[in-house]
Amino acid sequence: MRLLRENQQGLTGVYAVGAMTSEAEREKFERHLRRCASCASEVRGLRDTATMLALAAAEQPPPELRVRTLAQVRRTRQLPPQVEPRRGSGAKRWAPRLRLAVPVTVAAASLLAILVLAVAQVRVQRSLHQAQAQNAAIAAVLATPGARIVTGPTSAGGTTTAVVAVARHEVVVTTTGLPGLPAGRVYEMWLIGRTGARPIGLARPMPSGHTVPILAAGLARGDRLGITVEPAGGTRHPTTTPIVVLPLT
Amino acid sequence: MPPERLLGLVARGDEGAFEQIYDRLAGAAYGLIRRVVRDPAQAEEVTQEVMLEVWRTASRFDPDRGSAATWVLTIAHRRAIDRVRSTTASVAREQRVVEVEVPADYVADVVEANLERERVRRCLDGLTPLQRESITLAYYGGYSYPQVAGLLGVALGTIKTRIRDGLIRLRDCLGVTA
Ligand SMILES: [Zn+2]
Repeated sequence: MRLLRENQQGLTGVYAVGAMTSEAEREKFERHLRRCASCASEVRGLRDTATMLALAAAEQPPPELRVRTLAQVRRTRQLPPQVEPRRGSGAKRWAPRLRLAVPVTVAAASLLAILVLAVAQVRVQRSLHQAQAQNAAIAAVLATPGARIVTGPTSAGGTTTAVVAVARHEVVVTTTGLPGLPAGRVYEMWLIGRTGARPIGLARPMPSGHTVPILAAGLARGDRLGITVEPAGGTRHPTTTPIVVLPLT
Repeated sequence: MPPERLLGLVARGDEGAFEQIYDRLAGAAYGLIRRVVRDPAQAEEVTQEVMLEVWRTASRFDPDRGSAATWVLTIAHRRAIDRVRSTTASVAREQRVVEVEVPADYVADVVEANLERERVRRCLDGLTPLQRESITLAYYGGYSYPQVAGLLGVALGTIKTRIRDGLIRLRDCLGVTA
């Protein structure tokens, strides 16, 4: 017991700088903190010290971020006090209208944010009805039990995110941070399977830096997602080396 | 108004109080997140998620367990790490190579013509090199302590101790009161 206590005592610093290996390890230490006044008091001071390090690293965030965040806050319901015990962040309630089956809630939340932006964008180009139908289809993929998020960097920079609903044979793909292309070039997305590559759409940039989410049906086991740079309008078969190949299933 | 009281108002749905919290702490959250995830576009996304989580879960803030800034920045640090760990995992899956980039000079990076920053920098300078590197890799780099141990080629137990005694020295230098 004494050995255990010393072990835990040594973790105050690691805990304060957020360097635990896993949530399980963190929770174990938090249980110790509830019983051990000396560690708890030390942790308080060390966490506030780490906070000083964060304050020293402060940078001006882009002003659009403030606008977006405040707009989102206005639409977002808050957790009532102490409904459930402390465990978990309750992230599943993030969007009151949409129940998510996707386990990676952080990524899901950011994907939802992208989708919200996408609707606004798509509305300009299509009728409201079409935009809503597209969104309902995307929401259905996100809400599929067992849906997974797969994400990976591209060799050109930026990140690809796919929500894969194997049960529905559908996938929703979006990207963020892809570098701009010269005029006459576009990013084209593909599902790559045993029979070759099938085009699923062009990555259309939005002002947010994301691309409009693409919903692809007919997903088969073993399919991978690819993105290539192609001439404007896209091609039927990839003509360049993919900047990312992401296994989906 | 102290941020702890502002958070109390936020918990009751006060959007004006949230704006004040945003203006005081989003910069630190964004700076910290950008250091950990590196990519500015992703850092923006994570910052937005974090500030939204602050709004949603403000009723769970307990002033007895730490300051408002610590509460917000702990969320920021955790979400940034969630992001890099999931990205790293998928890179490993995809390419079977995990690139661990060793940051050359975090500390110098931190500096800007700001008194508070100067003070933090001076205090960081007062640490031993191992203490300083362990702390900056863990906190600004978002590495877990076994990863820090691996990067620095030092035993696990040593890293735990260096992070702790480095932080204690930093705390005393900065005059943080527990
Ligand atoms: Zn203890």
